[in-house]
Amino acid sequence: MNRAIGQQDTTLTDDIMAVAEKRDQAALGRLFDHYVPKIRGFCLAAQPGAMLMADDIAQEVMIRVWNKAGTFNPSAASLNTWIFTIARNARIDYLRKNGRHISNIDPELLWSDIEDENVDLFRDVQQARDKKRIHNGLAQLPTDQKQVLAKVYLEGKTHVEAAEELGLPLGTIKSRVRLALHKLTIYIKR
Amino acid sequence: MLNYHPTIELLTDYTAGSLALSYSLCIATHLEQCKECRAQVKKLEHVGSVLFDEIDPLEASSNNMDDLKQAFFNRLEEQNKMSDTMTALNTVNSHDGYRVPRSLQQFVPEGYDALNWVRISPSFQTAILANEENGTQIALTRVKAGSNIPTHTHTGDEFTLVLEGSFSDQSGVYKRGDFVQLNQQHTHKPVVTRDAECICLTIVDAPIQFTGLLTRLLNPILRKVHPYRG
Repeated sequence: MNRAIGQQDTTLTDDIMAVAEKRDQAALGRLFDHYVPKIRGFCLAAQPGAMLMADDIAQEVMIRVWNKAGTFNPSAASLNTWIFTIARNARIDYLRKNGRHISNIDPELLWSDIEDENVDLFRDVQQARDKKRIHNGLAQLPTDQKQVLAKVYLEGKTHVEAAEELGLPLGTIKSRVRLALHKLTIYIKR
Repeated sequence: MLNYHPTIELLTDYTAGSLALSYSLCIATHLEQCKECRAQVKKLEHVGSVLFDEIDPLEASSNNMDDLKQAFFNRLEEQNKMSDTMTALNTVNSHDGYRVPRSLQQFVPEGYDALNWVRISPSFQTAILANEENGTQIALTRVKAGSNIPTHTHTGDEFTLVLEGSFSDQSGVYKRGDFVQLNQQHTHKPVVTRDAECICLTIVDAPIQFTGLLTRLLNPILRKVHPYRG
């Protein structure tokens, strides 16, 4: 099972490189088939039933994938992470222009990737290890912890909103997220 | 090395995109200066991407995927006809000796000096960058070297990020890049260090209130520049 996922990722990464280097529309079509259902699911989690919005954002994300393919750097982020961040930004942008969070702020500038200097092999190895731990750790999280993470990440709720919705004290939500992140080896000092 | 950082809750909400844009702006500005928090955000993004990848495609699939795909490729073709689409990164311009963080350039395109500064007191100026629909105000404060800001209390939540210079209060010394979160429970009397002026980004729900006998007279000015009429 794990190997199948790994192989699929490699193929998709080849596809994005083909989009970047050869402007290959067939490769873009394969990325569309794989990611658009997930992007729609990601949007519907935040706004249940909003089919038109989901379709619109999914198209917008794929347009951005086409436009930004040249900036994709496989050693800095996995394709999944890269697409997730584009989908997150497109969803924020849509909500900013269409009601829920009207704002003067251009979100594109707030999540722009800041590349660290001194890129080294050690960092890549460390990142690969982090990814593996996060992947394995998420599969083993208790349901209540995972539920809160899903609320924050997929439904786009803040900690405060998640607490209200689940009818739990904010402190409980915070400690669940902290416990979960700790298990994913995200070290918390504060 | 920075000493004051956003909490993990704020970093998580920022990474997930659930934090209000005004607060996200402050986090983004901190991240530009803070390698440690950038590394945290990278990991948190990875958490998001695994959850994203676990979305069941069948559940979220549309009945008319083929139509959607056709519509998408039509839209792409329209766009490609219009212009060359590979996006270029903006260049970072520096003015008046300061480097404006990338996240703020949409509001500070020509440097801090070119902003419309309102003088609150001889040593204390403020410039409004944006008033958000929900009442939150994004502003810069600029305080002369060595001067203090009169004792004041916060009537709502406030995020402060030091952009240039440094200041201190009874809880600590805050330097360039440091992130400070204050609320109604805090009353303080910040002092700017003597070597340089201090410019801060502030995100406030409601205006601060001076508590001193004479400085209370300044409160109406602060309320006037803030849209909140509580």
